[in-house]
Amino acid sequence: MSILVDESTVVVMQGITGKEGQRAVPLMKGYGVRIAAGVTPGKGGQDVDGIPVYDTVKEAMQRHPEINTSSIYVPPFAAKDAVMEVVANGIKTIHCLTEGITVHETAKMVQYAKLHGVRFIGPSSIGVISPGKSRLGVLGGFNETIDKIYQEGSIGVISKSGGMANETAWIVRQAGLGQSTVVGIGGDRIMGSTFTDLLELFEKDTQTKGVVLFGELGGTYEDQVADMVQEGRFTKPIAAFIAGRFAEQMPQGIQFGHAGALIEGTRGLPSHKIQILRQAGVLVAERHDQLGELIKEAI
Amino acid sequence: MRLYEFEGKELLKKYGVPVPDSRLIRWGASDSGVSTADESTPSVLLQSGGGCMAKAQVLSGLRGKHGGIKRCCTLAELQEGLSMLGSTFNNEPVHALLLEQVISFSHQYYVSFVFDTDTRSPMMILSAQGGIAIEDNVTSGTGTMVRIKIDPLLGLQEWNIREAAVSLGLSKEQTARITPVLLSFYRCFEQEDAVQVEVNPLVEVSAGESAGAFIALDAKIELCDDGAYRHKERVYSPRVAGFARPPTERELLVKEVNAKDYRGTVKYIELDGDIGFLAASGGGSITCMDALMSCGGRPSNYTEFSGSPPTEKVYHLTKALLSKPGLRGLWIVGAIANFTRVDETLQGVAQALEEIKPGYPIVVRRSGPNEEEGLEILRRTAAACGLDLVAYGAEMPMTKTAKILMDKVNNVNGHIKENTKENNTIDEQEQRSVC
Repeated sequence: MSILVDESTVVVMQGITGKEGQRAVPLMKGYGVRIAAGVTPGKGGQDVDGIPVYDTVKEAMQRHPEINTSSIYVPPFAAKDAVMEVVANGIKTIHCLTEGITVHETAKMVQYAKLHGVRFIGPSSIGVISPGKSRLGVLGGFNETIDKIYQEGSIGVISKSGGMANETAWIVRQAGLGQSTVVGIGGDRIMGSTFTDLLELFEKDTQTKGVVLFGELGGTYEDQVADMVQEGRFTKPIAAFIAGRFAEQMPQGIQFGHAGALIEGTRGLPSHKIQILRQAGVLVAERHDQLGELIKEAI
Repeated sequence: MRLYEFEGKELLKKYGVPVPDSRLIRWGASDSGVSTADESTPSVLLQSGGGCMAKAQVLSGLRGKHGGIKRCCTLAELQEGLSMLGSTFNNEPVHALLLEQVISFSHQYYVSFVFDTDTRSPMMILSAQGGIAIEDNVTSGTGTMVRIKIDPLLGLQEWNIREAAVSLGLSKEQTARITPVLLSFYRCFEQEDAVQVEVNPLVEVSAGESAGAFIALDAKIELCDDGAYRHKERVYSPRVAGFARPPTERELLVKEVNAKDYRGTVKYIELDGDIGFLAASGGGSITCMDALMSCGGRPSNYTEFSGSPPTEKVYHLTKALLSKPGLRGLWIVGAIANFTRVDETLQGVAQALEEIKPGYPIVVRRSGPNEEEGLEILRRTAAACGLDLVAYGAEMPMTKTAKILMDKVNNVNGHIKENTKENNTIDEQEQRSVC
């Protein structure tokens, strides 16, 4: 198994003709992913690396009804329209790489996707990899890095940070384990898929024996994990690292790292997250490089 | 970006929210105090009856509690109020003062529009106990607050407000009067791409012809930086959110460097430590700040570069960072990059090191595309310039290199550990004390 993407994944890439889109195409194709079509308004009729480009998602779907997943690379100002368009056209799995979308627009996209029962990963998601099966986005970069870090295995990885998704997958690999699916969920204040949304999928996934999380200061998405484990809705071992304890010694309101990484009052304090995660039975690493050994012992 | 009260009130006014009559007095460009053009204003406000409020325009909170707001009924009091101009409040220089008409009120409310990560929606938070007292409740989440989830696709609806009004115990008339004000707040929140609009207090006027009207006595607005492209008309002075200080020269320089080239992002926030910190990626940089501080390192700055910035951008960032006096060590660190070209970015670092030739220890850990070439560039520069530099790739976990650096920094005048056995030494030390 694995979650979100596998051998059956057929992709439409929105924003395929842009810089970000063109960068992702060879990576995904090189990993054997089937990209059936691209969409860029005004560029219908062109092709990118042999992939036909359409003006609308509707046309792409008519020509390639096997499409079941969208991967989005449009610039921020066009993102809301692109997400709404693909949701309205019935796609149920959406990955959005675009960064820098306003919180208001993100909240609208997330709500619209939710109303339509769509699994929305991102925005600001570096990508998704189910090793040996499929990948979306640019997580892992070039295929030589991919082969070094990613190997089919039993550990799910969820990371708010794109760079740290790689590093976290690597720590798992260095512990002699492989990954079921690695997901960069993005570090925005409002996100399409949270830790708990994906833990629900990992709970059902028979390939996954344990999950490693990279969390951060800010927001309550890590707190939700503690509740989920406490209530018995997730039963596999979790090892987590929560970055940003240093910020508790800094003046409040400074933006470190991602858009969602902001402490407001007592909300979002890393020390609080660590405390309630530990109380719930989650293994919290003091330092990031200890994650591999922690999860290895737990499974 | 956090707005000053007067900037926030200008935005609220634009959406039809009633605010008190006011005049803004800025600290004169000549540093000689109040500019003459504004001198007549205060007395006019005094004559209008009830005196005026003198409010220091600072980004720090709790102004009311800590003397940043003064009521002035006499000329002497007004002089005292004006003396705040050019002074400091909570270490923050007061560059502007808002003189406002005094409003008599019967009730004060707290109103805030924010984004809630539990419902992933905008949220309206209301309390019938506004004013100074509520500030502790807001941060601790206690007290009698009504929290109303707003559907982002619909925006604030009248029935949302009715539900809130029932919970607060507002009368039919009060509800009718507060409704358009709250709708205006929400329009401001949404159309200005704000992440927070907080008004504390929103008051109900007690006397005169506008008795019963709702007026916003304060405004705390935080704008979403990602929305800036839609609001090109805005001209706000530069500021560092969260810090009660204006941006430093180096911060402004890096900001300029960042804006000049759209490729990649470089960020720099100055802190008061002595370890230069040059880190890649948002998540990686905060992970490494933790690692450094847990080993007793005091970062001289927070930095982040990401999204494949060109060589020149990294060069300027590094140069700015290294120009801070008193550094005792430098940590160049990053996770396994997905895309950022390690050789291109480290080339920028190498150029800056070549120019400055720091004498303190430098530890590098970086991995990703063209990793070997990148690390080699630094090693060559180190050899050519006689730098005390050690560079690691993927084989060495990122966060372990914090301790390697701090050991070097702390032993810099004593003996330096045997390099060939470094990995083993670190692991052994760790088993004794996990830093």
